[in-house]
Amino acid sequence: MRDLPSGPALLALARDILLNELTPLLPEERRPDALLVARCMAIAQREAEARETPEHHLRELYSADTDTDGLLARFARDLRIGAFENSPERELCARAILWRLTVAKLRQSNPEFLAANGVDQPGGVVGRARPCPSPASGKRSTPSHAAKSSS
Amino acid sequence: MAGTGSPQSEPCRAGALREFLAAASGACTVEITALMPLRGGALQENWALDVRFSGGVLDGEQRLVVRRSAATGVAASLTRLQEFAVQKAAFAAGVTVAEPLFASEDPAIWGKPFLIMRRASGIAAPDRITGDRALDPALPGIAERLGHELALIHAIRPPRADLAFLVPYAENGPLRQIAGFRAYLDRHPTPRPVLEWGTRWLETHLPPPGEPVLCHHDFRTGNYMLDGGELAAILDWEFAGWGDPYEDIGWFCCKSWRFARLDREAGGIADRTPLYRGYESESGQAIDPNRVRFWELLASVRWAIIALQQTDRHMIGGEPDLDLALTGRRATECELELLMLLDAGGNCADA
Repeated sequence: MRDLPSGPALLALARDILLNELTPLLPEERRPDALLVARCMAIAQREAEARETPEHHLRELYSADTDTDGLLARFARDLRIGAFENSPERELCARAILWRLTVAKLRQSNPEFLAANGVDQPGGVVGRARPCPSPASGKRSTPSHAAKSSS
Repeated sequence: MAGTGSPQSEPCRAGALREFLAAASGACTVEITALMPLRGGALQENWALDVRFSGGVLDGEQRLVVRRSAATGVAASLTRLQEFAVQKAAFAAGVTVAEPLFASEDPAIWGKPFLIMRRASGIAAPDRITGDRALDPALPGIAERLGHELALIHAIRPPRADLAFLVPYAENGPLRQIAGFRAYLDRHPTPRPVLEWGTRWLETHLPPPGEPVLCHHDFRTGNYMLDGGELAAILDWEFAGWGDPYEDIGWFCCKSWRFARLDREAGGIADRTPLYRGYESESGQAIDPNRVRFWELLASVRWAIIALQQTDRHMIGGEPDLDLALTGRRATECELELLMLLDAGGNCADA
């Protein structure tokens, strides 16, 4: 058990003081630096608060016997060789995972960018839940260098 | 100043710089009246240099910029002497660029290679250019002018003895670039599935090869200066090289360079129409939107890789710079753009 206030709460308070009390005291040319520091603190706060490891989404594509770090590398390798392109279902599932991974990261590093693109909205990517073919019962697609992903 | 993007450098040996300026300009005497670091320039240090020349080709008061190599860089960037040669070629072709004056690789002058050019007036800050409503009426005209400028740059074509150091296009076409992206991703400690997926799309949708031209390769909002609503200079030529003309058009329109106005697809300053009109009227070539799209997608992958490389300068190169430390996170913004362009319905399907 850790002491309170929590790390994220302390970061939020420190950031508030930095932006509202300290930054106005700085010379004009150093204020952008203070804003950068504040941005780093906000990212650190959001990452500390995040509960879900985004890579867990990969369990939908692969069996659970691989460690999560290994899964992400395997997913990346499979995408490089077009491993899902012969199976529309698995291709769709892979895309859904790509969306979730990306949105999860941007929620921590730049939620404003998500909002500006109208992505992280109710009914948007987070609500997307097309079931993936079971890795245990379904066959993995074979790579096809000739296949083209649609756009 | 450490840690937040200000130039890190050894002190200028003013005497050596004075002697260099006198010898290069033919001046009898040279007085340096100001030497101040300029903000911006993620890869190079830029310094404002005010000089009083007596005699020689620059006789009088001159406002100059010294552009020095940074402590660390990315592999694709030119040396300062090469950048100087490219800038001279562009200046001679009528491109709106600060006149390049001198360059040197002699470490005895200021530690690292540098080039010196005239200093343009105005603003380059992209958030200001795209976000200042007072500039809005001038921006469609600026977009058209930039299209015209881009066509002038693209009129410079190989072979050129003065640009013989540039990598032949055959060694830098899209397939080579894709191979380079993948080689980097193989070395990167964290897998990047979206970049792999986007790169795969590029590999399977290659356009027919075009005639190589001189590409700026970083032609975007943030790399030109506006002065009173007029184009003052196109900046930062360190990535220039032979390439497909659509590379620059796709790069300019890529969402990463729209800053405060994601809705204005030409660099955050206008829609694409005036940019294309300016380019087509100068080049006599109609723009093919499908080719722009391919290069715009490649631009998103390329910028993502560059952003990661920038953070490598902090993580691996040890530069204690917050700006560099944060830049790698922009790779994920590029990944979102790849998803939006290639899987447009994906963010709401099945919801």
